[in-house]
Amino acid sequence: MVRALGARSIRQTFRRPQLISPIVVFPTMLLAIQTGGAGAGIELPGFPPVQSFLQFMLAGSMMQSMMLAGNSGGIAFAVDIEMGFTDRLFAAPIPRFAIVLGRLAGTAALGFLASIWFLAIGLIFGAEIAGGVPGALLAILLITASALAVGGIGAAIALRTGSASVVQGLFPLVLVVLFLSSAFFPQELMIEPAKTIAEYNPLSFIVEGVREPIISGIDATQTLEAVAAIAGIVVLGLVLSARALRHRLRVG
Amino acid sequence: MEAASITAAAAAPGWRANMATVLALVARAKNELVRVPGAAIPGVLAPTIFFLGLNGVFGGLIHLSGFDTDSYESFIVPVSMLQGAGFTGAAAGVNLARDYEQGWVDRLLVSPAPRWVLLTGNVLAASLRAFVPATFVLAIAFLIGARWPGVDGLVVCYLMVAAMAAVAACWGSMLALHYKSQSAAPLMQAGMMGLVLLTPAYAPLDLLQPWLQKVAEINPVTHVIEAARQGFVGSVSWSDTWPGLLALAALLAVLGASALREMRRTNV
Amino acid sequence: MPAIEVEGLERAFGEVLAVRGIDLRVEEGEIYGFLGPNGAGKTTTVRMLTTLLLPSGGRASVAGHDVVAEARQVRASIGVALQEAALDPLMTGRELIRLQATLQGLPPTAGRERADGLLDRVGLSGAADRRVGGYSGGMKRRLDLAAALVHEPSVLFLDEPTTGLDPVSRKTIWEEVRALNEDGTTVFLTTQYLEEADQLADNVGIIDRGRIVAEGTPEALKAEVGNPHVELLVGEGAVAAAERACAELGKLLPPKDGRRVLVEVEEGAAAIPRVVRALDEAGVAVESLELVRPTLDDVFVDKTGHHLEKEESGDGGEEPVPA
Repeated sequence: MVRALGARSIRQTFRRPQLISPIVVFPTMLLAIQTGGAGAGIELPGFPPVQSFLQFMLAGSMMQSMMLAGNSGGIAFAVDIEMGFTDRLFAAPIPRFAIVLGRLAGTAALGFLASIWFLAIGLIFGAEIAGGVPGALLAILLITASALAVGGIGAAIALRTGSASVVQGLFPLVLVVLFLSSAFFPQELMIEPAKTIAEYNPLSFIVEGVREPIISGIDATQTLEAVAAIAGIVVLGLVLSARALRHRLRVG
Repeated sequence: MEAASITAAAAAPGWRANMATVLALVARAKNELVRVPGAAIPGVLAPTIFFLGLNGVFGGLIHLSGFDTDSYESFIVPVSMLQGAGFTGAAAGVNLARDYEQGWVDRLLVSPAPRWVLLTGNVLAASLRAFVPATFVLAIAFLIGARWPGVDGLVVCYLMVAAMAAVAACWGSMLALHYKSQSAAPLMQAGMMGLVLLTPAYAPLDLLQPWLQKVAEINPVTHVIEAARQGFVGSVSWSDTWPGLLALAALLAVLGASALREMRRTNV
Repeated sequence: MPAIEVEGLERAFGEVLAVRGIDLRVEEGEIYGFLGPNGAGKTTTVRMLTTLLLPSGGRASVAGHDVVAEARQVRASIGVALQEAALDPLMTGRELIRLQATLQGLPPTAGRERADGLLDRVGLSGAADRRVGGYSGGMKRRLDLAAALVHEPSVLFLDEPTTGLDPVSRKTIWEEVRALNEDGTTVFLTTQYLEEADQLADNVGIIDRGRIVAEGTPEALKAEVGNPHVELLVGEGAVAAAERACAELGKLLPPKDGRRVLVEVEEGAAAIPRVVRALDEAGVAVESLELVRPTLDDVFVDKTGHHLEKEESGDGGEEPVPA
């Protein structure tokens, strides 16, 4: 059942290319503009040793796509709820969580593809993946897992509000949260108060876990921190989803 | 009511009638902001988030040699204001597409009002609306320590903002009338975003990566940004202002003509 | 001089010819009804006559001006109320009609006075300062009509003015159109409702698949078709049997709704006993029997072989409007 719902979710996601393009095109544009404009920043004292700013930024762009995919999945889920499709699913003898999990499949697929896309872009434009194939695989894995985790939050919001326009309105929040992390620039070189917020932002841990294999190689500590952050978000997503589900089934 | 003679010659509307039409269309456009609760928020939020975000993330760049100023927020606030102008103008295009889909534009096209009058109404409304996000971003910038640009710097900056919004509105209107659908919206927004950011937006020209430096050198909006930025990073001079004005005039001429052409070809 | 004159008007969309060579003529002060089913080309024709669409072929003139070469003069002489009332939900009725006055180039004070006067005339003075978004369908049509009149046009185009309206609102619009016509305004209206064309129009043009298949006054057209018909409501599955039984008695017309059999009978009421006898002999159960005199639908069937409408429905379909 999860597979069927997952397949539907994936099919839905890719049937409308104009919905995918903002998830991939916008971060790619931003990647080009930011590496072009801020690229000289790698000369700053304190900047981690990198081959190029592009190499540094890839992880951030992947994060951005992943977050936008989570937001988009949340919107799609909210639309399902608005149209009553989920009500039908809830009425059927399917484990509740299978429904949410199936929906997340689409988001995870997008995250997966986004990570491959940016790795490819990086390679095409001359960035090296320092960790080689294992490093690339680790990055892909972490992004896909994050997509599931963030998708869970998106689903929880969709369940709680049942309104696609509310979920869509949270899109700026995605950008805010990313700016307040080390997605686009090393945390130590950011300006207060963003700097301090980025230090504790779980997204920073994830980004750095994805970035490390690209700019220098696989590092156990960094990877574990990323996994812990992802796990944290998964737990949060589970808790919020469970409560939202209970609320929705009670209220109908 | 007397029957009008069928053969009564219809003279072209005079300048008074044309001006009244432009103003009436501008008045209608304000309803979007004033009568729809929260409609102004996205237009204001986007450039503000970008401003604060860019400042927090890339503010460290200011330590590189090559910046004329030691305040990154002063350096980028004109960029954010122009971004807001681009967004507002593109939104005017999206609104026009929506109006077209809903049949409102037919009402305008069936009237004897000249097409350029109809376009001007839309474009002027966007120019005026751009003052809202621009002022908001500027206020936030001052709060976090941006430099006072002087009255001349402020005037030049706002002039660039208004004209940029007009350029964006022409671009958006052109796409709206060509595709006759709101699905062209991403192209409207992306086009303006590209135009404003493929410039010395994040850093001075010399510090840009080579490929972006070349693009920025041919991008007319580079001159607009430099002109708008003057007061914030130094003093205002005519030699730094006229290239920006010329660039905007050229863009307005080209995109305005394209938009007008599309408006005249809606019946093809 | 005719108010509207059309010769060989054509319009193609890609490969499809939506309007295939139309000729018509509307005299000053006439109400012309353009009648046809959805997709027949009515809206396309109106859009060409109101300069919203360029013809692919042929020519047309409205109020003495060519729609292509003198488009601006045409626009100044016509009032238009299109199928989808093009109203802005955020504006009030008064604001909208005043905007229309400005668009038409009326001087400010005169324009305001006319606008307010027209609102009164269509019964919207009370609602004039409420937002259009809150108006009912009937109110929106009345506002659209009032706006179309603000500059005293000599020719008024109404594209399906009562589609989707309840019967009371429909009657109100009809009365208004008649009143306008009495004042001398030429009215070109398109409709899919034969009653509307029958009731309002001085002349009717019947259009099907881009061509005019019949034209004339409603009475003349109906007289052409001539014969009344008997309409039988039979039980489920009895249509074939009923048709066989009646085949000798008169020309069979295409059945309606799967249960109504139609037989043309020249002699009118005198044919009824024979019909009843034939059905009785065939053992066909008849639920009702009616003698129906010719309508414009009959004219339509006669010319095209199919019905104009299955039955008059309250909300009409939507004719796809090509952009």
